[in-house]
Amino acid sequence: MTDFKIHQRDGEGVSVIELKGYLDAHTAPDLETAFQKLLTEKKYNIVVNCRDLSYISSAGLGVFMAYVEDIRKNKGDIKLTNMTPKVYNVFDLLGFPILYEIYKDEKEAIVRFNVLK
Amino acid sequence: MSRLQRIALLAIPAILLPVVFVYDVVRSAVEFEVTSLTTIREFGVVVSFIAIGLFIRNRRKSVNRNAPKEIGRLFFAVFFGILVIALSTFIQPTSVPERSAPNIHLSALSMLATSGQSLLLGIVSIYLLFIIHDLVLFKRRKSTRRYYIAYFVLLFISCAMELPFIRFENGLLSSIFFSLTIVLIIINSFRQNWIVYLSKREKGYSIIYSVLLFFALVVLDIYLAQRTGTNNLLKSYSSTLHTFIWLNSIFGTIYFGVTFISTLFHLPTAEVFERKQSELNSLHNLSRLVTQVFDFNDLLNTVTQMTMEVCGARSVWLELYTVNEDSGEMSVAVAAKKNISQEEIDLIISDGGNQLRHYFIDTKKVLLIDDIWSDRRTKFLKDKGFTRGSLLTVPLLSHGKLIGVLHATKEFQNAFDQDDIDVMTTFADHVSIAIENSRLIAKSIERERFHQEMMVAQRMQKRLLPQKLPKLPQVEFAVVSESSMEVGGDYYDVLILSDDRIGIVVGDVSGKGVSAAFYMAEVKGIVLSLSKICSTPSELLLRANDSLLESLEKSAFISAIYGVLDIQDASLTLARAGHCPAIFVSEETVELVRPNGVGLGLTNDLNFKKATEERVLRLKPGDICIFYTDGVTEARNAQMEEYGYERLVKVVQECRNCSAERMKENILQSVQTFIGSGAYTDDITLIVVKWLGNS
Repeated sequence: MTDFKIHQRDGEGVSVIELKGYLDAHTAPDLETAFQKLLTEKKYNIVVNCRDLSYISSAGLGVFMAYVEDIRKNKGDIKLTNMTPKVYNVFDLLGFPILYEIYKDEKEAIVRFNVLK
Repeated sequence: MSRLQRIALLAIPAILLPVVFVYDVVRSAVEFEVTSLTTIREFGVVVSFIAIGLFIRNRRKSVNRNAPKEIGRLFFAVFFGILVIALSTFIQPTSVPERSAPNIHLSALSMLATSGQSLLLGIVSIYLLFIIHDLVLFKRRKSTRRYYIAYFVLLFISCAMELPFIRFENGLLSSIFFSLTIVLIIINSFRQNWIVYLSKREKGYSIIYSVLLFFALVVLDIYLAQRTGTNNLLKSYSSTLHTFIWLNSIFGTIYFGVTFISTLFHLPTAEVFERKQSELNSLHNLSRLVTQVFDFNDLLNTVTQMTMEVCGARSVWLELYTVNEDSGEMSVAVAAKKNISQEEIDLIISDGGNQLRHYFIDTKKVLLIDDIWSDRRTKFLKDKGFTRGSLLTVPLLSHGKLIGVLHATKEFQNAFDQDDIDVMTTFADHVSIAIENSRLIAKSIERERFHQEMMVAQRMQKRLLPQKLPKLPQVEFAVVSESSMEVGGDYYDVLILSDDRIGIVVGDVSGKGVSAAFYMAEVKGIVLSLSKICSTPSELLLRANDSLLESLEKSAFISAIYGVLDIQDASLTLARAGHCPAIFVSEETVELVRPNGVGLGLTNDLNFKKATEERVLRLKPGDICIFYTDGVTEARNAQMEEYGYERLVKVVQECRNCSAERMKENILQSVQTFIGSGAYTDDITLIVVKWLGNS
C-alpha cells in the first residue's frame, strides 16, 4: 500500500540516511535493517535526512528509540534534518526535540558531527 | 415389465407349442392338409418364439462385465444343443427324404423329439443373438448400432420369406438376401472392442471359450446346412425357425472366430493394458485419499503399497524432509516403508557419505540407478553385501521445495522403465499435495485458535475500559473507543479522585495489536494506582514515565494526556506526555491546548521533568474540552490524505453549543464521512467533557 525507500550515503565520517515515503509499522523494519547495518559496520555518526519523508507513525518513531541508545553508547548520535512541517509536528508532539538534535539542513548536522571530532 | 406380463409371455409358448404338437400328431395320423391351418400353425410357432425372445430379453443382464464367462456358458448351451441333436438322431435314425412340407409319417415320439430340439435350438439361438448384441454394442457408435439393426432387419426378412403364405421360391432374391446378410455378419463381427478391456486372465478364458464355441457352432452350421437327414426335422418343424437358427449360427461362428483371432492378437498387449488399468485405479484411489488428510499415515502407507504393486518393486520407502525454520537444519524421517528395514535404508542412503541424499537435495530430480553394484554412487553397497538390483527415487516437491523422496528398488538390473518413473512421479505429486493440504489445514486450525484467543483478549480489554462514566450535575461526558484490530493500544479512563476532583486520561501505546494491548493494560494499572497518590497531573505522568521506562521495549512508548477536573474550582489542569493536544472550546474560541511534554517511556526522569509543563484551564459554563488519540487526526481516506487538525477544529467549532454526546457523534460522523468506505487504520478514542457549571 505504502511506498518507502531508504538511501544511504557515506562520507566524512558521517553516514546520511535519506528517507522517502511513508514510514509506518509496515515499513519500519526496513529502517531497522538500515540502522542494524550501520551498527555492524560501526558507523555511529548518523544523519537522517527527512526531506522526502511524507509520513511517520509511532512505529516509525520507535525505530529511532530502539537504536539511539546503542549508537550514543558508542559516542555516536542520530541527528534528524530537513523535516517537512507536518513530519516535524509529529516529532514535536512527542517531545522528540528534547531527545534528538533536529536541524533544518543536512549540512548543519554534518558540521555538528565534525565539530565534535 | 410386471410379473403378470412375464407370466403372459411364458403362457403363449406354453399353450401354443403343445397345440402345435397335438396338431402335428393328429395331422400325421389322419393325413390331411389345409393350407390355412398350416399357416396358422407356422404363426403359432413364430409367435411362441417371439414371446420366448421377449421373455429372455427381459430376464437377462448385460454381459459387459464378464464376457468370457458368458461366452463359456453359451458354448455349453450350444454343446448341449448339439448333444441333444446327436441323441435325437438315435431316436429317428431313418433319413427323411427332402421335403419341406410337414406331412411325413413320423412317430409321436420322434415328433416330440423334433419339437424339443426346435425349442432348445431356438432358445440357444436367441440367447446367442443377445450375447452378440451386447458384445457388438459394447462401445456404441452411431454406425455400430446401425449395422447391427441392419443385420437384424435382414434376419427378420429372411425369416419372413420362409413364412408359408409368402414363401419365396425366387432363388436369386434369396441368394441376394443371403449374401447381404453374410456381409452384415462380417461387418458386425469386427466389433470386438470389449476384448481390449479384458484382463490377461480373462483374455485367456476368452480364447479358450471362443475357439470352443467356434467349433461347436461350425458343427451346428454343418448340421443345419444339410439338405438331408435330421436337419430336415427342424426344417420340417418350422422353416422360419430353421432360417433364424441357421443365420444366427453363422453369425456366431464368424463372430467368435474373429473373437478368437483378435483376442490372440491382443494377448501381448494385455499386460500393458492391465498395468495402465491398475495405474488408473491406483490414481483414482489416491485422489480420494489425498482429500482425507486426517488419515495421513494411511495415505503414505497406501502410496508405498501402490508403488509396490504398480511398479512391481521389491521394496519401497518414503522419506519426508522437514526443515527447521529457525536453524535451517534438515531432518529426515522415513514415513512409510515396505519390505525393507530401517538398517537397510540407512545403509543405502546414509552410508557412502550421504551422497545420494545430497544428490536429491541438490538436483531435486528423479534418480535412476540401473545397477546398484556398478553405479559410482552406490558401488559401496556391493561390499556391504547388498543384493544386486536397481533403484529409482523420485522427489516430492511442494512449491518447488523438496519435502521428501519416494524410493523403490527392484531385484534386477535395468528393471525400471519410463512407465515406472511416470507412475512414481505421479504418486509423489499426490503425496506432495496431501502433505501441502494437511499443512494448510493445520495452519487454518491454528489460525482459528488464535482468532478465538484474540476474541477472548478483545473481551478482556473491553473490560479494562470504564464500563460506565460518572454522572454529575456539573459535567457531561461522552466517549467512544474503537480498535482497528481485535485488540488495541488506546486507553482512556474517567476516575473519581475525590468528591470534587475527577481525573481524565487518554493514552496511546505506540504500535498496534497484541503488544500495544499489553502495554495498555499496564498503563491502566499504573494510572489507577498513581491517581490516588499524585496531587498534580504532571506528577502522575512523571511517575508513570518512571514506572514504564523499565518495562517498555526500547522502541515502544506511550503518549498520554492527563487532566484533573476540579469541580469546586471550575478548573481543568492538564499535563501532556507527547499526546495530541486537547481541544478547548470556550465561548467563541477553539484552542488546541498543547503544554510541553515528552512521551512516556522515551527518556529519563530528569529530562521528562524538565520538559513537562502544566496548563490550567478556567471553565465557564458551556465550555467543552475534547481529548482524543491520533487515530482521529491521522484517519486517512482512499487518497491517503489525513483527516488532520483543521477538519477537526472546524467540526468542533460548528458544534460548539452541542451536548457532549452530540459533539462526539458529530466528530465521529465527520471522520467517517472523510475516510469513506474504508475501515479505521488505527485505534480511535474520543472523550468529550462539557462543563455545565457548578451553581
